[in-house]
Amino acid sequence: MAMSYDRAITVFSPDGHLFQVDYAQEAVKKGSTAVGVRGKNVVVLGVEKKIVAKLQEDRTVRKICSLDDNVFMAFAGLTADARIIVNRARVECQSHRLTVEDPATVEYITRYISSIKQRYTQSNGRRPFGISSLIVGFDFDGTPHLYQTDPSGTYHAWKANAIGRSAKTVREFLEKNYKEDMESDTDTIKLAIRALLEVVQSGGKNIELAIMKRDESMKMLAQEEIEEYVTAIETEKQKKT
Amino acid sequence: MATFFGEVLSVYSRAVEEDDEDLDDENEDEQIHRAIEEKREVHIAWCPEVAQSLEGKLQCSELIIAVGTNAAGFLSAYVLNTESWDAVGHASLWNERSRGSSRQSIAPLPGEPACLFYRHRDNPAVLVCQSTCYIAEDQLFQWTEKVFGCLQKRGLSVMVLSDSPVAEYKTPDYLYGSAVPFLRSLKSSASKSQALCPALEQPNILTGLPAAVLSHCQVHQIPAVLYQCYTDVISPDSITMETYKPALLCLSKLVKLEPCLSADVLRKFAIITEAQSNLYT
Repeated sequence: MAMSYDRAITVFSPDGHLFQVDYAQEAVKKGSTAVGVRGKNVVVLGVEKKIVAKLQEDRTVRKICSLDDNVFMAFAGLTADARIIVNRARVECQSHRLTVEDPATVEYITRYISSIKQRYTQSNGRRPFGISSLIVGFDFDGTPHLYQTDPSGTYHAWKANAIGRSAKTVREFLEKNYKEDMESDTDTIKLAIRALLEVVQSGGKNIELAIMKRDESMKMLAQEEIEEYVTAIETEKQKKT
Repeated sequence: MATFFGEVLSVYSRAVEEDDEDLDDENEDEQIHRAIEEKREVHIAWCPEVAQSLEGKLQCSELIIAVGTNAAGFLSAYVLNTESWDAVGHASLWNERSRGSSRQSIAPLPGEPACLFYRHRDNPAVLVCQSTCYIAEDQLFQWTEKVFGCLQKRGLSVMVLSDSPVAEYKTPDYLYGSAVPFLRSLKSSASKSQALCPALEQPNILTGLPAAVLSHCQVHQIPAVLYQCYTDVISPDSITMETYKPALLCLSKLVKLEPCLSADVLRKFAIITEAQSNLYT
């Protein structure tokens, strides 16, 4: 059925599909889950830690990368594709600073990343990037943002979202539990952790979390801090039941 | 015969009787064919006690065959994990993708692709076969004939668990991520039991060992049911293995099983392969 129209990226099928882009979305689902939550004063990215081989240095296996002092992102999908996108975005952030003498807004860098991705869906001989990303940060006017990009090159702003394996389950959880304008940083962080715990096996030790507060740089939470939040969440759960 | 380019080709004419020298070529061809046939022969090696009782045929009321790493992993975790199973035999064969026959008489090493047979200690009429090696098309018939040739047909009932990539599942509808992995079933006409999942829809077909086994059961009127698990993961994966759980309902009537405790065992199978792949993060 789909067979003859799905080999070349530059060919539409009769019913308007670009199958290579659809298949690139499947590659994203092979990556572990990443969740992003935008609070009033803090933005949070949480990821399911990849199981690392015994002899591998685990600090070289990172899903959360900072792009500039005010922007960072998490990705899901092909590791090598993500590296290319992150490198290009980092260069563009610095180029923006030098040209305009202001840090890039989150929307600007998201648009830049999405334009690269879209270009690869329209030239022959190339395949789409097999990653989706969650880009979070603060603009220089202090507004927090969360954007999601996907292999087709589209991007949208979100209040909370998830990508990767089991993203649907996590998104449903977020839809049920997200509250508008969460004032408390703790609540925002707890929401991200609770959402991840829905799908991460063996709890807190497989979660990595990064937060950014207004006018501060990105901070990766230590394992002990994450465990504290997990314990607090479990206590609250037991109180409810 | 002289060609346009000046080379001389020797061309055989059917009008003329062949010389004796050509017979050697033929013999050589025959020898080569025979050597290839011998190399590709399927050998079933049973342990001594089973081999003795094979003077008649092996009493077997239930044969469970797992084809593929996830199906085999499911059986290892939920069924073979209890201490009451004995390894009673293995099938050794050689083809371009499974080169195991150099050790015909020695059992395959754990973790190697292989075809292993287990029998339940308390209920010796229950046999389990885990097949993780590739069996070529020309060897499937031999495998099926040799294995079923050792078993008594009367009262035999077969269950096959098989893995398949979801990319080979043909459907007019778009498969959302949450639907995968899923089970589909196929039965021989002699099977009267209720299948525990929807039947495999057209135009999907089975191939390989599951197809050979089911065809054999259909021809010999042996009740057989097959559960095909479509999954989007190439390597052994705990979620895919858990998809076979409905099959436990049939098995639990015959043998004692581990219903829930083996999640860690499942994860052990999955973790070994996950850590090695750096392609996706």
